[in-house]
Amino acid sequence: MPEGAKTIWDQNATPRHRIQWCPGCGDYAVLNALKAALTALELTPFEVLLVGGIGCSGQIRNYLNGNSFYGTHGGALAYALGAKMANPELTVIALADDGDTLAIGVENFVHTCRRDPDVTLVIMDNGVYGLTKGQDSPSAGLGQPDWVPSEEHPPFLDPVKLALASGATFIAQSFSGDPKHATEVLVEAVRHRGFAVVNDFSPCVTYNKFNTYDWFRAHVEPVPADHDVESADAAWQLIRDFERRAKLPVGIVYRHPRPKGDARRLPMWPAELERVDVEPMLAGLR
Amino acid sequence: MIVNQMKLLVGGVQLRDGVSTITDIVGRILTRCGLHVMGVERGFASTIYGAHQYDPLMITAAPALSWGDEAIDILVGLEYDANPDAPEQPNRDTILRHARHLVDGGVLLYDSSSGPVPTDDLESRGVRVFPIPARQIAQRDLKKEVVKNVVMTGALFRLLEFDQDEQQLRRLLEQRFGRKGPALVDLNLEAARRGRAVVEQVLRERGWTSVGYRLEAVPGAPARVYIGGNEALSIAAIQAGVRFYAGYPITPASSILEFMEAHLPRYGGRALQGANERESIRAALGASATGVLSMVGTSGPGLSLKVEELGVAGITETPLVIVDAMRAGPSTGMPTKAEQGDLFLVTTGGHGEIPRIVLAPSTIEECYTLMLDAVRLADVYQCPVFFLTDLNLSEGRMTLPEATFRAGPRAVQRFLATEADVRGDRYARYRMTQDGISPRLVPGTRGAVAKVNSTEHDEFGFVTTDPPKRVAMMDKRMRKMGTYLQRDARPPQVHGIPGRGPILVGWGATKPALLEAQRRLGAEGVQATVVHFTHLWPFPTHLAKPLLEAGGPVVVVEHNYLGQFADVIQAHCLVPTRRVLKYNGRPLYPSEVVRAVHEVTHNGAVTVRLGGTEPVMVEVGVDA
Ligand code: SF4
Repeated sequence: MPEGAKTIWDQNATPRHRIQWCPGCGDYAVLNALKAALTALELTPFEVLLVGGIGCSGQIRNYLNGNSFYGTHGGALAYALGAKMANPELTVIALADDGDTLAIGVENFVHTCRRDPDVTLVIMDNGVYGLTKGQDSPSAGLGQPDWVPSEEHPPFLDPVKLALASGATFIAQSFSGDPKHATEVLVEAVRHRGFAVVNDFSPCVTYNKFNTYDWFRAHVEPVPADHDVESADAAWQLIRDFERRAKLPVGIVYRHPRPKGDARRLPMWPAELERVDVEPMLAGLR
Repeated sequence: MIVNQMKLLVGGVQLRDGVSTITDIVGRILTRCGLHVMGVERGFASTIYGAHQYDPLMITAAPALSWGDEAIDILVGLEYDANPDAPEQPNRDTILRHARHLVDGGVLLYDSSSGPVPTDDLESRGVRVFPIPARQIAQRDLKKEVVKNVVMTGALFRLLEFDQDEQQLRRLLEQRFGRKGPALVDLNLEAARRGRAVVEQVLRERGWTSVGYRLEAVPGAPARVYIGGNEALSIAAIQAGVRFYAGYPITPASSILEFMEAHLPRYGGRALQGANERESIRAALGASATGVLSMVGTSGPGLSLKVEELGVAGITETPLVIVDAMRAGPSTGMPTKAEQGDLFLVTTGGHGEIPRIVLAPSTIEECYTLMLDAVRLADVYQCPVFFLTDLNLSEGRMTLPEATFRAGPRAVQRFLATEADVRGDRYARYRMTQDGISPRLVPGTRGAVAKVNSTEHDEFGFVTTDPPKRVAMMDKRMRKMGTYLQRDARPPQVHGIPGRGPILVGWGATKPALLEAQRRLGAEGVQATVVHFTHLWPFPTHLAKPLLEAGGPVVVVEHNYLGQFADVIQAHCLVPTRRVLKYNGRPLYPSEVVRAVHEVTHNGAVTVRLGGTEPVMVEVGVDA
């Protein structure tokens, strides 16, 4: 994007030259894809709530316009759940990474998949804790043939499989080396009425010297056009097939929305809170 | 003849014998008949089935000052078989544990289905004993074991000469079982009649015309409810405007979650059972961030898990009401026993320093009246507000006028920024203001966005470590507490005139015992003052210090080991405190307070520890 061509998504945000990501970090592509997707969806920053996880990636909430909430490590999905339950009119997007989502926040990940709030989660997956200088995350070891699993260094945890097993209704992967495709995936994820998980391979150029852009380029492969996205069986088959071939599927792996009633914004303005009939609450106490 | 003034205790095997079924029936019916029932001492176990459970009720014509001492007038023992602790003495568990507290001339009813219990020692004290083969009647004659409770209730009502025409019992049974058809109602009424018949037979055989105690309906009383603290505070919260509640099952806060699940949706709200304690509070913070008045409830172990989020609420300036129904700690502690051990946790828990407000109701009625303040203060000061109850307040029940709840809280005034407010200047979520309170805009409002940030931030919510900005922001946040102290802190409630004698200082559920002790001390010629705090933190030094410096020893009475509130008082008021501490899981009894005050005033005791050396029966070990 040429300097000066500021979109609404660049306002109320940390200016680009002050962004504190290493040059080349995969998160830049997610930022661009996110702005492009929000623009394509014709949303305004007022109606968007970005909930950041803790890690390099969580800073993204300050790098574009929109309301934001930032709390504790691993908590993004639970804040997002409450916010969406309280105000379904908001577009709620949780932006976190693999450490935040799959280690300290894994309890929220599993249960948010089960609950299926209309929230989008973008995992900026790079296999390391970048912000604390490169410790292993649960997705460390991806594709490493000489990775010897131990208690200290357990094998790679696949968010796609975990999401599918936990009941998520939209599961997709994208790659920061292909922001155009990532944008398309994000648009679909936000449109999905339910919990949408997007695992974006977002290389950490500073601390992950194995899963590099080149490595990903050699390993990602689009989900075949004839894949039945509504079938969980087909999704498991696809995952196994890609695993066997040591490839990583990018695209929509599973999409099967649950039937949902209309959710309404909870009362909060004085006029909405007046006139509480206390009788039904007293009725059981006599 | 003692009329409408007695302490009743029902004991038995938890769940199996239906202890709380009986006290629930009694509490509701007496309340309907214009009497006052106070059941705030709770003697249940944290396992579901099998442990000893007891439920004392104070029954009075006018509202009782307190739950009294351990002395009981009427004892009802429901077990019908051997206690594993004393297998050679069947039917006796309740009697073994509680009969020594029966007053001379009291009454004992027990289930004699598996044979009589030797009670000569009790009878020699004038206790009238009624062996009732309730289980046998239920099982053998009525072919339905569960109605044994109703046999016992019928017997109890008969000996108290109450509800002789069975109208009250019939009404309650019809309300409870009417849907299942008249046969079940009739069966229960028959059970009650059998119980009555046994009492009549004993009266005849013993040649007694009465037992010396009687209950009489008080006609024309205003409508009243029999309500617990959790219910009272939940009603107030809903009336005040809370529309999002999140909890995780934990004794003794679970009934808030149950109440909210049952009622919040009717008022457009939602109640969430979190997958864990952390999800609960985080979801509530998320909901609150969108502007909805939000609340969580838990007990000590759950609050320990939530501590990380206290800092989030504090630094992001997200309002939240946090109910802590305290139980005995540390760790799992004694899950079904009350304590006041969490004061330090709520005043200082978490890393770093945050603005926070701590309120503590002292009665079930105050669980209701004070909750409005909690909701309002959270919203005004945009910070966590703790509402400290304890197990007895939360799970205990008492008779209260319905008018209290009908005249009660109106929805709090909201101060959220609107689109019109933010037009023009760029909106800053954390704008510097004199009182420290920044205009709060919630996501979804057109015209501006709110950047809510748990990292130290500038006025716009963007991350900063710039020293002047940090200092300004920290000062702004903490300034809210100065504003609170000026505008909203409440002085302690003062009963009596400070300076004439010992000053009994308390907070939370100890108030009834302190007031009763004060009355008894007065009868002995000792003029004590009770100074009871509801607004604990930030500590209102300017309001408290003059009272506590009035002269006379300051005796702080608390349910904990250290004397946590006494420490707070000493630190803020620089007055020495004496401490009366009880942490054995039992409520404070007025007689203990009286004794402790004597220890302090006559013997110069600095700290009196209650409840340890008493000849207390060993309870069945439980865990949860
Ligand atoms: S450390 Fe890694 S993840 Fe963090 S900003 Fe640098 S490249 Fe990105």
